Amino acid sequence: MTSPTSTTLVDVRDLNVHFRVRRGLAASRSIKAVDGVSFELSPGQTLGIAGESGSGKSTVARTLVQIIRPTGGTISLDGEVVTNLKGSRLRRYRRRMQMVYQDPYDSLDPRMMIREAIGEALAVRGLAKSQHKDEVNQLLHRVNLPASVATRYPGQLSGGQRQRVSIARALAVNPEVIICDEAVAALDVSIRAQVLNLLKDIQRDTGVGYLFISHDLSTLRFMADHVAVMYVGRIVEYGTSDEVFANPLHPYTKALISAVPSVTSRGQMRLKLSGEPPDPGNPPSGCPFHPRCPEAIDECRRERPELLMTSSGQRVACHVVSARQRKESAKGSA
Amino acid sequence: MINLPESELNAAFGGSEPTVLSEPNFWRRAGHSLLHDPIAMCSFAFIALLAVVAVFAPFIAPFNPLHEFSNGLSFQGAPVAPNGHFLLGTDASGRDVLSRLIYGARVSLMVGVVATGLASLIGVVIGTVSGYVGGVTESILMRFTDMVLSFPILLFCVALIAVTGPSARNVVLVIAFAYWTYLARVVRGQVLSLKEREFVTAARTLGVGHLKIIRKHIMPHLLPTIIVYGTLGVATSILIEASLSFLGIGVPLPQASWGEMISEGQQYFQVAPWLLVAPGVVLILTVLAFNLAGDWLTDLLDPATRDMGR
Amino acid sequence: MTTELVDSVASRDAVVVVDELSVAFPSRSGSGEVVRCVSFSVKAGQRVGLVGESGSGKSLTARAIMQLIPEPGRISGGRVLVGDDLVLATGASARRWRGTTVAMITQDPLSSLNPLVRVGAQITEMLRYHRHFSRADARQRAMELLNAVGLANSKRTMRQFPSALSGGMRQRVALAIAISCNPRLLIADEPTTALDVTIQAQVLDLLERMSAENNSAVLLISHDLGVVANFCDEILVMYAGRIVESGSTERLLEHPLHPYTTALLTSVPSMTEELPERLLSIAGSPPVGGVDVVGCPFAPRCPLAQPLCSEVDPPLRALDDFAGRVACHAAGNKEWPTARPAVGVS
Repeated sequence: MTSPTSTTLVDVRDLNVHFRVRRGLAASRSIKAVDGVSFELSPGQTLGIAGESGSGKSTVARTLVQIIRPTGGTISLDGEVVTNLKGSRLRRYRRRMQMVYQDPYDSLDPRMMIREAIGEALAVRGLAKSQHKDEVNQLLHRVNLPASVATRYPGQLSGGQRQRVSIARALAVNPEVIICDEAVAALDVSIRAQVLNLLKDIQRDTGVGYLFISHDLSTLRFMADHVAVMYVGRIVEYGTSDEVFANPLHPYTKALISAVPSVTSRGQMRLKLSGEPPDPGNPPSGCPFHPRCPEAIDECRRERPELLMTSSGQRVACHVVSARQRKESAKGSA
Repeated sequence: MINLPESELNAAFGGSEPTVLSEPNFWRRAGHSLLHDPIAMCSFAFIALLAVVAVFAPFIAPFNPLHEFSNGLSFQGAPVAPNGHFLLGTDASGRDVLSRLIYGARVSLMVGVVATGLASLIGVVIGTVSGYVGGVTESILMRFTDMVLSFPILLFCVALIAVTGPSARNVVLVIAFAYWTYLARVVRGQVLSLKEREFVTAARTLGVGHLKIIRKHIMPHLLPTIIVYGTLGVATSILIEASLSFLGIGVPLPQASWGEMISEGQQYFQVAPWLLVAPGVVLILTVLAFNLAGDWLTDLLDPATRDMGR
Repeated sequence: MTTELVDSVASRDAVVVVDELSVAFPSRSGSGEVVRCVSFSVKAGQRVGLVGESGSGKSLTARAIMQLIPEPGRISGGRVLVGDDLVLATGASARRWRGTTVAMITQDPLSSLNPLVRVGAQITEMLRYHRHFSRADARQRAMELLNAVGLANSKRTMRQFPSALSGGMRQRVALAIAISCNPRLLIADEPTTALDVTIQAQVLDLLERMSAENNSAVLLISHDLGVVANFCDEILVMYAGRIVESGSTERLLEHPLHPYTTALLTSVPSMTEELPERLLSIAGSPPVGGVDVVGCPFAPRCPLAQPLCSEVDPPLRALDDFAGRVACHAAGNKEWPTARPAVGVS
């Protein structure tokens, strides 16, 4: 694993989020929503986290903004360890890492005027009330919304407009990182494109880093510089966007990409994946993907694979891939 | 970044952005609904009238309610029937019924509003704290609420007043203490679900403090419930006060109170029916008015129609 | 009669014909039409896709076919003919053909399946009520259907309640119920939108197989052009309650005629080709349903819009060089001015 450089913005090591569920008087069981996840985000870059339901990607997002407390591991922002903060340190941290949520209809308080909603963020930043009006207008302009929106209520705006307001609100505190948790999933396709373009523009202008969480791979391909694919709480593949999409190594990644019904991939042979994602409270032994994996070998059932670097620079957690790598490097050196 | 002038932005977005057209302003909707609901209008009119009467009682009442008129009793010492002088007749002590009714309105409304106000305050605080904080605090508070809830109110009130002695103040306190539990439970439930709403999570992520979140995000959503319960609560409080006065442990004599008047009227029903009918009718109308107003408010503030934009 | 209707009636192989259908909701201002003069037909065994974003009216069109428009909406114009014998679809006749000739699966199977009734019972109910199976036969057939939709442990599944199943499994059950009476047309309204991508692939695959085995036509409704493109032979694009373009999938993808279709295609990042710095999209958003618009409803957002577009609503017409139809003044018009920049592109 590469060690975090001084230019790393966010550094997450061995993050664990385990929930204890009590079953009556019997022993409780542990749901490992996130199990040993590590990744980095460089300034001005976008890290995409892909995965389906139960993958743990949303839990990762919520842990980073400290809505959920991790049970293990460390999170560092700009070299400073920020796991498990409390009180005023937590408040200061909160300004640096913001989040845009999936549901445009619920992430804005329906009883608060847009100006007040953004004003709330400005108040947290410490801006004097007298300056709020101008700043709100500026922020709205930044997200391509007319100033007249400031005096409206969320109920009078469309989904796309609300998401822009959420983005404006997140920008209001001048964060270093914005986590987009399925931020465009609920939007129409043409609106989605507008918002994605907007996010890219903002990144170019402000240098903010994005952690982009999405189940939609085509969106990730467009937005992300690096991609981490999660399955049942673990990262199974990690690399640059180009690498992962052009040359996926993990069987799950391959199936995931193949399953996306894209207009351009029409008529192509698809990798059919049978079965369902496992219950995170009771994952299969060894590699959690092995029951569905077309390439599974014996070892997959017994031992959990580590996330290892391959010759192409990607990191993959797969015994089959590792075995293949070993064979190739043996051939190479022979 | 596209830096379009404001006019272009408005054209690009203002023109085709779907502003929710047929969603009128809340007050307009309220006014519109009220104008089309004659029953609700009458109820509010009645309540308004009652309020005016209660506030301006000294100016409206024709006589002093405590004064026992010499011409208030017939030669045999019986109460006088309604006539030109005493519009609603007199009671067994020769006091003017109408004036007593007017001053009685004062007592009822005062007790109703203050008791409900106090009950709402306690209920909202306890409900919000237990819903928001959760954990052990919630358990303790809710169990305490359950305990109070399981006492039969009237008996409870009777017992408390027996200990503290009858007075208007004690009546208010006793009613408030019995009534806060309903609101506490409802508020707790609402706070529990509000806590999970994404805009509350968003506020927490922004770093907004807990008190501010409660004040700005949770309270405004509780307002409809509080208003509705408050309205219905006033009706109940008035009834409880009347009941206590009826039993003789409410507002002490000689102060006028509808309940007390009903109690007396019940005794003299054969001889002087107006003594029972007058306060009885007024009490019924008052409680009915508050209940109907509360019903209308409930419909107006129904989340199904209330939440704009869904 | 529209051309579609004439053709279908003549060729007698349509399983549903929608003829100038309009659906309206009561509105204080204007007609309140959310579906306006929609005409199309689906032939036996054909797979047709209905694509559109919010407010396009695609779901309501499907529900109109089923005569299941939610109150207070109603069919304000046109008609629907269903089945091999093209029976007029009305609320009254629905009992005869709903569920049997035309079946529907929706986005959220948890709301279309009764949560209080076991899965097996929901399937057998269909068979016993509509096709008068005996209890034993119905049970047998139900288990066969569950197996056919890929639910292996059918005996166990029969006894489960819908809430015990995952989203993908519920959709399979919904599909089993839908095909239990061998419908001529299966309407699938956003069947995979709420499902994970890998499960979506499974369910679409299943839908393909089941419809082929039963020779049912499929009307697939989705906001996802990719899903529709990979499943359907023919695509209808809807915008603001109207069909703006129709044609074979191949033709539509290679030569989109309507600017909106083009925008839909360019708005979604490709999975394989090189990506642009910015996605080519259009400003603004779809108009809210029920509002009357003068001229073409897409004009405010259209990069090719000219004054004519805001005055005259373009009719849906066939073009000489291409199969299918399009509702656009610019389409096929070689003298039309090219795209104007700035406001049009976001």
